[in-house]
Amino acid sequence: MTGGRLHPFTLLAIAAALPALAWILPAPTGAAWTATIALALAATRGIRRGLWPAVLTVAPFWVFLLLLHDVPTTIAIGLRITTMVASFVWLVAALEPARLVEAMVAAGWSASVAYLLAATLRAVPLLKTRAQRIVEAQRCRGLSRRGGMAARLRALRALALPLVLSALHEVDERALALETRGLVPGIRRTPLAPPPDPAVEQAARWALLLVCLAALVRRFIVPRFI
Amino acid sequence: MSIRLLALIPVAAAISLALSAAVDAVALPLFLDTTGTILATALAGPGVGIATGVVTSAVNTLRNPTFWPFVVVQIIVALYAWAAARAGLFRSLRTAVPAGLGLGVLASVTSTPISYVVFGCTTTGGIALTTALGKALGLPPLGACFFGSFVSDFGDKAVTFALVTSVLHALPRRTAARFPWALRAIGAA
Repeated sequence: MTGGRLHPFTLLAIAAALPALAWILPAPTGAAWTATIALALAATRGIRRGLWPAVLTVAPFWVFLLLLHDVPTTIAIGLRITTMVASFVWLVAALEPARLVEAMVAAGWSASVAYLLAATLRAVPLLKTRAQRIVEAQRCRGLSRRGGMAARLRALRALALPLVLSALHEVDERALALETRGLVPGIRRTPLAPPPDPAVEQAARWALLLVCLAALVRRFIVPRFI
Repeated sequence: MSIRLLALIPVAAAISLALSAAVDAVALPLFLDTTGTILATALAGPGVGIATGVVTSAVNTLRNPTFWPFVVVQIIVALYAWAAARAGLFRSLRTAVPAGLGLGVLASVTSTPISYVVFGCTTTGGIALTTALGKALGLPPLGACFFGSFVSDFGDKAVTFALVTSVLHALPRRTAARFPWALRAIGAA
């Protein structure tokens, strides 16, 4: 199961259920199982795209956990964080934002919500590139990493202000573009190619939710009555 | 919500995430990851601010999944920024910086239980090291965790408030007037 053909909601459900179970099930056994599954899922996206980023992200947590806690606590928390990181790395590698937007629109979500995620994902690299250009321009004018805290804060202001102001000036242009395309809040749109959502996957999502609820009851409510 | 305010949310969220390049360039130990949330709230009120905070956390989570549990902090930041905007605390650096310091305390109080329960206080290298320092100073585990969060949040939020104040005052009045809260936040309405 690589996750590439699953419905976006199924991918989200798996990525949410694994960390939830890692925290609910008794440590370290429960978290060891969820971490193994999450790492196996990440590995299905390839070593470079899935497993390696997960291991690189989670490694510092294990180091700092060992620095702050004893070994049993380190293992318990470390396995939970590993589950969370690996399942999200798998999710990011498997989930196509465009398919998610189509699925959300098909499920009756407002087009505005779908727009927020998609527009932010597109705006971040643009603004980062612009920030880098501003940094280079200010370096040409003598910006330095040296100096005291006050000098660096003044330098930060000189870098951040043009970036933020230029971004705010774009808001009107974006609003006009949205209006032209008919994205009026509250309006329902028809998805062009909604991803198929088979009954098996819908049942699997409900099953995941029930498993999490059952684990929660078994862990925290049942012991009070025994 | 008007189209302009809808268009503001992704721009403000992207500002939070793109400012890291500016911070890296001047080698300051800051995050500035709530700049967009505070700015959006000061310009357009709590609804837009909370939406910006949630979108920022969601997009940040795709980069590093450990950000998602801290979405609560973004919501608290938006509500605090709204109260500050209502009180006109963005009118000058003299009022904005103490307000930012107050937010630093509130943000560390909010993030400490999350960091302690979910991550064992290992959210970032810097926080983990200051937590280790707090532990070495003899603080109890939760106290050491708060110390780590406090050291990172206190100055960061003050600088963020100062930066947002500078932006609000640098905006042309005509542009500021297009956003419902901007003039009130700087005490001009």
